[in-house]
Amino acid sequence: MQLSSPTVATSKHRRFLTRRSVVPWLFILPVLTLHLAVVAGPAVSAFYYSLTEWNGLGPARFIGLENFAHILADRQYATALGNNLRWMVFFMTVPFALALVSAAALAPVKRGAMFLRTALFLPYVLPSVVIANVWRYLLAPDAGIPAALRGLGLPGFDVALLGQSSTALWCAAFVDNWHFWGFLMVLFLTAMQGVPSELYEAVRLDGATRAQEFWYVTIPGIMPTLVFMLVITASWSVLTFDYIWLLTQGGPAGSSEVLSTLVFDSFNHFEAGYAAALGLSMSLLALLILSMFAVLRRRGWEL
Amino acid sequence: MNKQNRWMVALALAAAGIGLATNPLIAQSGKAEVTIWLDQNGDPACQTKNFVDAFNREGKLATIKASIRKNSWDATKIALAAGAGPDIVTTPGPGFLGEVAKAGQLLPLDEFGWTKALAPWALSLGNFDGKLYGLPNEVETLVLYYNKTLFAKQGWKAPRTMDELVSLAATIKAAGLIPFAHANAEWKPANEWFVGEFLNHGAGSQAVYEALTGKRRWDDPSFVKAIETLDKLQKDGTFMGGLDRYYTSTFVQAITALGDGKAAMKIEGTWVVRDLVKSFGAKAKNTNDWDWVPMPASDGKASFNIGIGSTASINKNTKNPAAAAEVLNYMFQPKVQARMLNECGTVPGPISLPKTGLGKVDKRLQAILAQLDKAARANSYGYTTWTFFPPKTEQVLIKEIEKVWNGSMTAKEYLGEIQKQFDLDTAAGSGLPIPKR
Repeated sequence: MQLSSPTVATSKHRRFLTRRSVVPWLFILPVLTLHLAVVAGPAVSAFYYSLTEWNGLGPARFIGLENFAHILADRQYATALGNNLRWMVFFMTVPFALALVSAAALAPVKRGAMFLRTALFLPYVLPSVVIANVWRYLLAPDAGIPAALRGLGLPGFDVALLGQSSTALWCAAFVDNWHFWGFLMVLFLTAMQGVPSELYEAVRLDGATRAQEFWYVTIPGIMPTLVFMLVITASWSVLTFDYIWLLTQGGPAGSSEVLSTLVFDSFNHFEAGYAAALGLSMSLLALLILSMFAVLRRRGWEL
Repeated sequence: MNKQNRWMVALALAAAGIGLATNPLIAQSGKAEVTIWLDQNGDPACQTKNFVDAFNREGKLATIKASIRKNSWDATKIALAAGAGPDIVTTPGPGFLGEVAKAGQLLPLDEFGWTKALAPWALSLGNFDGKLYGLPNEVETLVLYYNKTLFAKQGWKAPRTMDELVSLAATIKAAGLIPFAHANAEWKPANEWFVGEFLNHGAGSQAVYEALTGKRRWDDPSFVKAIETLDKLQKDGTFMGGLDRYYTSTFVQAITALGDGKAAMKIEGTWVVRDLVKSFGAKAKNTNDWDWVPMPASDGKASFNIGIGSTASINKNTKNPAAAAEVLNYMFQPKVQARMLNECGTVPGPISLPKTGLGKVDKRLQAILAQLDKAARANSYGYTTWTFFPPKTEQVLIKEIEKVWNGSMTAKEYLGEIQKQFDLDTAAGSGLPIPKR
């Protein structure tokens, strides 16, 4: 047996370090440092502050799990969580149905395809503050779409939908969906183009209808994209804020309150410790949803 | 301001000046730089010209370095938490000031001599734990504005009592017009303007004082009746034509309706005057004019609720406390406050304004401010919720009233919720200083 000389061993060791260990770390070091500074650091501090009574300005007082006990007893939290779940159900159904049907209809279109796709995708790149303000005017009962519909003699359009407890949340969801579903459609359209055309030819030879093609070829073909977007949308639904805040500020009478508006309110009213606990509960919910995705993958789903 | 008061102010300012001049920090550093953050929404160009530049010409110990912030309070809050922020700390009112003071971010101001420059009721609003941490600025009040031309045309008289107000609202509605041009789509806390006015003018400011000092419960029948009156007006659709309209209309829509004569009245603060003058007459392409009366009260007596729109303090971490004090000192001089009102429309602090140099200020606003000053000095004033209520109680008051309006809570239950939060805030030491009547 030939033993390596110490010089050769050191040299090999150096090369190993250089190639396998040090260099990759050097490459990710800038991003890692940035991540630790702007993501991991604040995340850890948010966890700490969730265990304190802190007004956001002075020293924090450690109170253990009191903030979380408060969350369990907070009626507003229950209402807000319920609204987040309603929002989730809406966004996991309405935009998906719209996007799937539109993508399937647009997939075979060749002439003007780019124009149609761009037009439907465009709202997604507009700032939420612009969209919300435009829709606020469009939904105004005395000047917007309701006034026009009333002018046509249609009943039931004499109310401000954003100003009623029964409709405010759904109205905000409608506006958010107006900007969102086009994005989803483009994703599905792209995924559909990856489905092998032989599969469509095969089912057509077997006499399948367009609906059967869609159900038995298209849907299984885009399943990874579909499930991924469902999981991401569910997670986004827990974190939703901008459209609700811009259109209703959680009102009227708390009817469109969601978890993020509670966090915002708490921060603004010197309850930063409680706000941190609320924020953490939102992150945990979002994490729970994302972990479902991981579980499905482990169970062999092709996602 | 009478002669004696003017001398008092002059003496106090002179005393402050002597204190500043003998401060060793100033002697060492010469003209020190004092930082201040101006809010983008507060006409910073005008403030720079009439306050910052003017001070930099006149200041003996300091120069101001002003920078503009999009939302100066949010920026200040974050900076203070990080041990930074401007030398002159401004907050949106005593509730906010209390939190900053409690957090130990401010320098006590007692040594600088303002205890004599400002009225006792005003100074007490800046006192926490026996020390003065902030000077209240921008004194506001709410009154009932009305479309004078419309009233004359319809033969209506401006109401003096709460009953007259309720009855007139019904008459206006029956005439097919909007009784109150009120909206909260852009600012949900607008709710508290009305709750505060009805508590103070329905139950009386003495009752509110007693509740604020723990001698009366918030769910007392007198308060219940006041909130029920407000609730009735809201449910009758007198606010902008209906609850849904109130929740979705903007301030511009509301004030335009008042100017155009589609709405008849508006209960709002002195801050709205600069928009009112633009919404009436040739500028707004109508031939209408407006006027005001004190908010009608149950007993028919004129009363004004005091509100503080901002406070000014010195950052604990300032390197030049005396120089910062000179800036505050200048800020509260009657001539500076008058100039800021005249040129920029900035509502003055709790000081008596000189009678000259207010040529650009609407005479009606001058009259409101003069009556408010008189009422405040005579201790016959009411309490705005954002100035005298603990911040968390104020939040309950703003949010939960919408449940009364949508019928899911009674007035008594609502006031019970306020009492519950008020008790918690008092126990936690978050109650605000209430000047003795």
